Amino acid sequence: MEMLNFLKDNPYLIAFDNIETINNANIAIKDNHLTFNKGNEFFVFLDNFDKFNSLNFTIKKEQDIKIYLITYQSRKIEIDYNFELQEKANLKIFTNFSSRRKTFLNANLKFTLAKNAKLTVLSALTFNGEVKLNETVNLNGLNATVDIDLLNVGGKTSKYYVNQDVFHNEKATISNIDNWLIATDQAKLAYSVSGSIQKGKEFSKCRQSNKGIMLSDSCEIMVEPKLFIDEYNVEASHGAAIGQMDELQLYYLLSRGLTENDARSLIISGYINPFISLIDNKEIATQLTSQISRLIRRKAYNE
Amino acid sequence: MTLEIKDLYVSIEDNLILKGLNLTVNGGETHAIMGPNGTGKSTLAQICMGHPSYKIESGDILLDGESIIEKTVDERSRLGLFLAMQNPIEVPGVTNFDFVKAAIQTRMKKDEHLRIGRFILKFEKASEDLKMGKGLAHRFLNQGFSGGEKKRNEILQMKMLNPRFAFLDEIDSGLDVDALKLVGQNVTELKSPELGLILITHYQRLLDYIIPDYVHIMINGKIVMTGKEELINRIDQEGYDWVKKELGIEDLETKPYSLGTCPSKH
Ligand SMILES: Nc1ncnc2c1ncn2[C@@H]1O[C@H](COP(=O)(O)OP(=O)(O)OP(=O)(O)O)[C@@H](O)[C@H]1O
Ligand SMILES: [Mg+2]
Repeated sequence: MEMLNFLKDNPYLIAFDNIETINNANIAIKDNHLTFNKGNEFFVFLDNFDKFNSLNFTIKKEQDIKIYLITYQSRKIEIDYNFELQEKANLKIFTNFSSRRKTFLNANLKFTLAKNAKLTVLSALTFNGEVKLNETVNLNGLNATVDIDLLNVGGKTSKYYVNQDVFHNEKATISNIDNWLIATDQAKLAYSVSGSIQKGKEFSKCRQSNKGIMLSDSCEIMVEPKLFIDEYNVEASHGAAIGQMDELQLYYLLSRGLTENDARSLIISGYINPFISLIDNKEIATQLTSQISRLIRRKAYNE
Repeated sequence: MTLEIKDLYVSIEDNLILKGLNLTVNGGETHAIMGPNGTGKSTLAQICMGHPSYKIESGDILLDGESIIEKTVDERSRLGLFLAMQNPIEVPGVTNFDFVKAAIQTRMKKDEHLRIGRFILKFEKASEDLKMGKGLAHRFLNQGFSGGEKKRNEILQMKMLNPRFAFLDEIDSGLDVDALKLVGQNVTELKSPELGLILITHYQRLLDYIIPDYVHIMINGKIVMTGKEELINRIDQEGYDWVKKELGIEDLETKPYSLGTCPSKH
């Protein structure tokens, strides 16, 4: 298995490829089902893994779990990830789907939350190739809460088709989505972001914000925000701001002597930093930062 | 050390704003520019800095005898030009500290590198001088700053960057009485033969703290009168009408205009 260096000897590592499974963390694993019943921080690493067509995670009642889900692939992968959060479970999950070469990923991430469960998702997408990603969240229990932050940096001819759907199936459920989209070269990012609150699911809150910067003339960012609200007594909002880099911000930095390259990269890092700062693990954060700068350093800055 | 603005005509979106402006500032001098709203004062400062929206129709800007109008904005800054903006720009996600650090690093020679400890001390000293508060370094650039904090932050940058010619565009607006005094003192401390200052202001109170050597009155895109402190007093009390009258300047605003076909309810 080809492994990221800093993960190799990690005592909380769980790693799969189609041949072997490493379970340093001693988690209950049965076939494609992982059960987490002790609070901790876990690293789940998948190297070209598609032995099963789904991988299932159960977070037991009242457990407080952090999972860093990192996948690497060098060929086409289609897989589902299912997460079940039992009552009062608290899951903070970071995902980073990366490719070693230009290839194809089709992933469905499905989260189901019971009463008082809390889910925080940090998704990083820096994939080389084509991605079809569906993130579906079912807020099935009273007071279930989800917070999604997604950072997508697309370069070269990469294509991303991302659907995010949150279903408020119970009263007083809360969802928050923040997407940070950056495109350069000929990359294409197409997002459909929807929140549904059914009739009778009062006191629910559903909020989404989509921000995007296009760094080249030939890239594309498309966002379709949708709210399906069938109940009066709720709060729902969406906003989208997609555009070129702010010329006045650039001018301000230039007026203090920063070169155009430095000014642009500072503005971009300012855009990315709030996401990076949400990542608790330093090594994971550093790895992502360097992935991103490899992606956008070359071309983005001289247009 | 001279900054010379020669017969400058500048437009924005096809509106001619500066109409034959001349100004020479030598090292060590402080010039105040006063004038009614919309007369082109900020335009002058912005065009010298190289703002992308403004266009030079004719004329020249010379720094130590060499034209800088072909230079990029960052080159002008590294040549020693500085503009404390009337409306400083907010840059989310970029900390004040990283920004000022990058601005200093870009001025260093290839083989030099920043002594970070010394830099931090200097930064802290400057923010203390301007009573900016401890958290400033790690706040995002101008984001959520109060009007007065933004202005003080401009002066902080000026202190850190040691420019040779600095435009301070309405640095007094938004400052409370104490902050005005503080900014005044800080700028006055920076005065030296190595610094030419151009203060754009509407009010006398700033000029009580930063004493100018020359006072210029700008109307309709050019400097129409130059004097000393006595001008400030008179403008403070009487406004600009007497200048216009004395020089026979037609007020653009008083041209008769028709209300045309404004929709009205009956
Ligand atoms: N983008 C623009 N398009 C058209 N006209 C503009 C634009 N920006 C500025 N102007 C006009 O240029 C003129 C000069 O503006 P400038 O900001 O230089 O005035 P000022 O002397 O600094 O005024 P103030 O004292 O109010 O700051 C104004 O009439 C203004 O409306
Ligand atoms: Mg102005």
